[in-house]
Amino acid sequence: MVGIMMLFFAHAYKVPMSNGVLLGRIAVVFAAGIGVTHVLRLFIKSQGWIMQSVEKVIPKLAIAMIITSLSFSLLVLGLNYLFNLVVDSSKKLSFVARLSASTVDNGLVILPWILIYYFYHFIEKSRRQQFDTLQLESLIKELELKTIKAHINPHFIFNSLNSIRALIDENPSRARTAITELSNILRSSMQVDKAETVSFEKELNIVKDYLALENMRFEDRLKVEYEIDEDTLDQQVPPMMLQTLVENAIKHGISKHIRGGTIKIISDFKNHYHEMAVQNTGNLNGGLNTEGFGLSSTQNRLGLLYGDRASFEIKQLAPSIVEARVLIPVQMN
Amino acid sequence: MRAIIIDDERLARAELRKLLQDFPEVEVIDEAANAEEGITKIEAQNPDLIFLDIQMPGRTGFDMLSSLEKSPNVIFTTAYDEYALKAFEVNALDYLLKPVEPKRLADAIQKLHFIETKEPLGNGENINKSLLTENDQVFVKDGERCWFVKLSDIRLFESVGNYAKVFFGNNKPLILKSLNALEERLDEKMFFRANRKHIVNLRMIEKIEPYFNGGLLLELKGGEKIEVSRRQTVKFKEMMSL
Repeated sequence: MVGIMMLFFAHAYKVPMSNGVLLGRIAVVFAAGIGVTHVLRLFIKSQGWIMQSVEKVIPKLAIAMIITSLSFSLLVLGLNYLFNLVVDSSKKLSFVARLSASTVDNGLVILPWILIYYFYHFIEKSRRQQFDTLQLESLIKELELKTIKAHINPHFIFNSLNSIRALIDENPSRARTAITELSNILRSSMQVDKAETVSFEKELNIVKDYLALENMRFEDRLKVEYEIDEDTLDQQVPPMMLQTLVENAIKHGISKHIRGGTIKIISDFKNHYHEMAVQNTGNLNGGLNTEGFGLSSTQNRLGLLYGDRASFEIKQLAPSIVEARVLIPVQMN
Repeated sequence: MRAIIIDDERLARAELRKLLQDFPEVEVIDEAANAEEGITKIEAQNPDLIFLDIQMPGRTGFDMLSSLEKSPNVIFTTAYDEYALKAFEVNALDYLLKPVEPKRLADAIQKLHFIETKEPLGNGENINKSLLTENDQVFVKDGERCWFVKLSDIRLFESVGNYAKVFFGNNKPLILKSLNALEERLDEKMFFRANRKHIVNLRMIEKIEPYFNGGLLLELKGGEKIEVSRRQTVKFKEMMSL
């Protein structure tokens, strides 16, 4: 670039110079320019300046620029001298004067060069960041979808079908309702990724169907209690969230105990929050992390939907009662 | 065949009972709703076959089997457990997925018939009932893997603390049984207590060499070398000379 400029200036000012000397000088400037900027680039890379904030980098770059143009000029002058390419007109000037003039000259060329380099990388970096964010987002979506698909336990489906088959002879009308209940659950689990939230009433109906089916399987080992404030029925809730908690409660509170237990569903207003809680007979005894999938997905979903305005906890409420509780902000209609 | 159905769900038991009506050769003599009940009923009635659900409250079907002295023939029934069933790849033991397909049930029973006629499980013929015979099988579970092993396939029991390491084929899983408890239940014509730490299967001995101090060194078919203590050497020679 500097070479092209020199060509331009030489032409414009008609400096008396033989073609050989001119070409030689251009070659020297080219070689020195490429060499010096290359060293600068390696240095910038090795120091990781691309990754640093703009405020921190600017003074460093300024110093780097001065040093670069100084060494550039020194190199050019030296090489010119070495190859005997010095122009007569400049011989009159002192070395220091020539050096400083050349430094300023070259600095003016190197400055945009550095800026272009830096901005190119800056844009590249932010583009890559954007790309990463997009990738991350799609990954989260995908994981969410997997979570949702995992909501209905295949074990539950096949066990229910098996019970229904037994009921066909024993109690045909119960078998018929059981098929309706199972259909409702399957349908809602398929629709779940379409809506962000559903009315609590809808969610509760699914839970009731689910528990009716589990009651058919566990018979007198499972007792269910509801404590529902009717005003909460209109609240919007994430679909299949209460369902996941109930399924979890069955898994740990009922199916592992020979004599079974009780499951209690609570929905109420607490200050400005809608409280949904599931209590089951049993003990937490620290085995919380191993069963984590349903619970951590609940936590994640709440975070995605409500940020930190919603909360989820699971704790030992009384000696043999475990409670899982979700608080989400109340929506005013 | 006398069978017991073990499943925590009444309806599941009822359904299986109903399906089994088509197989007059299988007589369902009892049902159990959990592992504890299962153990009591198996020990009291000594069935030829059990239908066993894997996921049950309290202890799982696997846990139940590992605490039995000897295992009857088992057909597992499960709703969805490919994970647990992978454990059985080696054994090719039978399982049914609920709801059970009648054709699969027929196949499973057919297969059992075949096994029964070929090598009947050693029931009844034994005067001393508490003694295990070579045709008896034990259920061994080690972490994720499970096996049904015929006693005649076991080369060696080795004591490891409160556990015993069972050597058969290329496997040596641990079972929670002391060597002394095992010795009491094993037929001494078949299994010999070589020293404090080892019980060997006499039929699995490949080579016998004299060892220092008047003892013997047994080499088993799997290449294990077991030292016979001096005291036991006398007994061993006595047995072998007969």
